[in-house]
Amino acid sequence: MKIVFERTGGFAGRKIGRVLDTADLPPAQACRLERLLRESAFFSLPPSIRPGRMPPDGFLFRITVETEAGAHTVEAAEGAVEPSLRPLLDFLLDLVRR
Amino acid sequence: MTRHGIIPPYLLRSIAINGSRRQRELAWATLTESEQIRGQRRVLPPLTRLAVVPGRMRRTVYDARNRYDLPGRLVRSEGGAASADPRVNEAYSGAGTTYEMWRKVFERNSIDDRGMRLDATVHYGKNYDNAFWNGRQMVYGDGDGTIFGPFTRALEVIGHEMAHGVVQYEADLVYRGQPGALNESFADVLGILVKQYRHRQTAEESDWLIGADLFLPGIGARALRSMKEPGTAYDDPVLGKDPQPAHMKDYIETNEDNGGVHLNSGIPNRAFCELALRLEGYAWERAGRIWYRTLRDKLRPNSTFRDACSLSVTAAGELYGHNSPEQKATRESWAAVGL
Repeated sequence: MKIVFERTGGFAGRKIGRVLDTADLPPAQACRLERLLRESAFFSLPPSIRPGRMPPDGFLFRITVETEAGAHTVEAAEGAVEPSLRPLLDFLLDLVRR
Repeated sequence: MTRHGIIPPYLLRSIAINGSRRQRELAWATLTESEQIRGQRRVLPPLTRLAVVPGRMRRTVYDARNRYDLPGRLVRSEGGAASADPRVNEAYSGAGTTYEMWRKVFERNSIDDRGMRLDATVHYGKNYDNAFWNGRQMVYGDGDGTIFGPFTRALEVIGHEMAHGVVQYEADLVYRGQPGALNESFADVLGILVKQYRHRQTAEESDWLIGADLFLPGIGARALRSMKEPGTAYDDPVLGKDPQPAHMKDYIETNEDNGGVHLNSGIPNRAFCELALRLEGYAWERAGRIWYRTLRDKLRPNSTFRDACSLSVTAAGELYGHNSPEQKATRESWAAVGL
């Protein structure tokens, strides 16, 4: 499973991101990632989660997950991020910062 | 324009003579039906505002305890004792400095100019390296702990976020493309003015840096943005190089960051800095007043850089006279960035 993660916007206007393959991750992390994708119901989320008004300096997150069954992309803006998506975002950000 | 009838002319005349500076301006503009003042939006709300009692500052600070729920737990409100948590006190006093500066310099009564309560949340999220305005309140993170420290540390960041609130209640610039970059730039301008005002710095003395105190030791960055020399704030192996353009010839077309709102803001940022340096002295006194009037009375949600240029020249003319040195300097400052 391949994951493309990207965060843009924010006060700093700085883009960060990473391309991950669960095959390259330590098994515990790969397992955790799969669990977070399940728990956030990632594949059922709409492709774009945006508030009516973009909050100034808010982040914009973009996650694409590619599996054998196909790919799904979710774009979520600050102010509209589902609470269930936060643990997944925090996990991905931790991996990016490492 | 039947709306002019809300307050009878004799009362307007009296206000035009006896009111506060702001009230006089508004009453005078209404009486003369100047074509230069912007239409309905400005004419209606200020008249109702005349009845508003002079504002009292009301601040509240909340603690999100590193979660993402807003506003979080109330930890300090107006007049309350200082907290043991420096982040709480930074958010509280930064909001106070900003509010006072707006009141004294612009005769503005809080974010909405109607005495709105100033709500701020600190300790938002986990390793959250950001601050934002969510449409109702300021939100501050603690930083990621590797590059960024807490975002309340920089007064101009607090002023910047609160200014996004002002933009929302005034020009309401769309957060995308050029209007979005203007939204960002006005937030940087009002942010740096608060910092300059707090330290009584002239335009020459100011560092014109946004986010100078955000970086943790060891990061090769002066700040996040330089208003004086956009594109020179940082150059670091981890951060990369400051990508801001300083001139229209380097304008960046992109889809990211809502169409580069934090990138192209470098262009109007520098125009303001150029104006302040041309006019010399305290930037909030003349350059700031021209910019504030442009934001409050002239700009529209879809205004472009070119609109900001011509409207600020109009504002300078209204404030200081046609062909005044201030108006000429405004024109020159935009020309310096290719507009």
